[in-house]
Amino acid sequence: MSASLPVSLVVVSYEMARELARTILSLSPGYQRGCAPADYEIVIVDNGSSRPPAAEDFAHLGACVRTLRCSRPSQSPAAAINEGLAAARGELVGVWIDGARIASPGLVAACRAATALHPRAVVATINHQLGPKLQFHAEDTGYDRHVEDRLLASIGWPTDGYRLFEIATTELRAGVRGPMLESNALFLRRTLWDELHGYDERFTEPGGGMVNPDTFIRANALPETQLIRIVGEGTFHQFHGGLSTSSLRGAMETLRAGSRAYLRRRGRPLAPVRASGWLFDSRARALVS
Amino acid sequence: MTRLRIAESGELREWMIEYITSVLDLPVESLATSATFDTCGIDSVEAVVMAGVMEEHFGVEIEPMLFFESPSIDAFVAAHGGPPENG
Repeated sequence: MSASLPVSLVVVSYEMARELARTILSLSPGYQRGCAPADYEIVIVDNGSSRPPAAEDFAHLGACVRTLRCSRPSQSPAAAINEGLAAARGELVGVWIDGARIASPGLVAACRAATALHPRAVVATINHQLGPKLQFHAEDTGYDRHVEDRLLASIGWPTDGYRLFEIATTELRAGVRGPMLESNALFLRRTLWDELHGYDERFTEPGGGMVNPDTFIRANALPETQLIRIVGEGTFHQFHGGLSTSSLRGAMETLRAGSRAYLRRRGRPLAPVRASGWLFDSRARALVS
Repeated sequence: MTRLRIAESGELREWMIEYITSVLDLPVESLATSATFDTCGIDSVEAVVMAGVMEEHFGVEIEPMLFFESPSIDAFVAAHGGPPENG
């Protein structure tokens, strides 16, 4: 096993020019530490935006960026992800179901190092949301894009990406070992993605409904896989009017409807992964005992 | 506010106990029905999921907020269970 697996990062976008620019910057070699430009590629799959992103938009970042347009754009990102997985050339592939998530600076290197610890690693990063509270409280707190822009400016982002932790709220409320419903970004070896058959395109609900939790749960249920949670890195959701992150009512409705669809589809209730798995400390580059 | 009757109290209680112990992988006897969902290990996200699953089972639309207003099995059954319906 090697710690230098070539990596592909599959990022789905839909009408998020403001957010995607930051996300791709955060994945570029000038921001990511411990990764050379030749180590990885970024595959952006646009899911039907009126003005799809072009590779030239990111040329100044010095990253290997490819842009695709999903051949079957829909309200669910599942098909777009699968087209990105098919196009990805890396042996290790990380999927961003939501291109509005900024990465911390050591995320890619940590995921690559963690993957090398187990032949069937399921490497999960922890989701955070920018702002003092989870963004579905935005209607009550007045949080919006302008507040967020000022917040990012207040930490001088992107100079020190680790300061994102100072202005964000974790989605893993029970702590890093707590029940985990999903991960963005999720890293699996190409062989494991193939075994999983990617994302299940029957999740046709807006935003894919529970397709991201479903993928995470299925990955962990594959035989002899090892969940590895990354500590000290994360992704940070930018406010962009997403279905489940803009209002409490919207979040509840998305989850409630999604859980019903999941039950009908899988024949069992949606439940988070409770196994804490291994914890990989990105700073120490070692497992946490 | 109209009180929502979801099911007969015994049936509702039994369903909730089975659901929660199944999700948490706990023996039935270890679950205290007076304990809050949060204390049991059912966080707010899972409470909303439970609302969806309960809707599928009982065929009644259930506002997830009901779980926050009545945050234990005992409280929820007292609020939303009822006597058996006359045949």
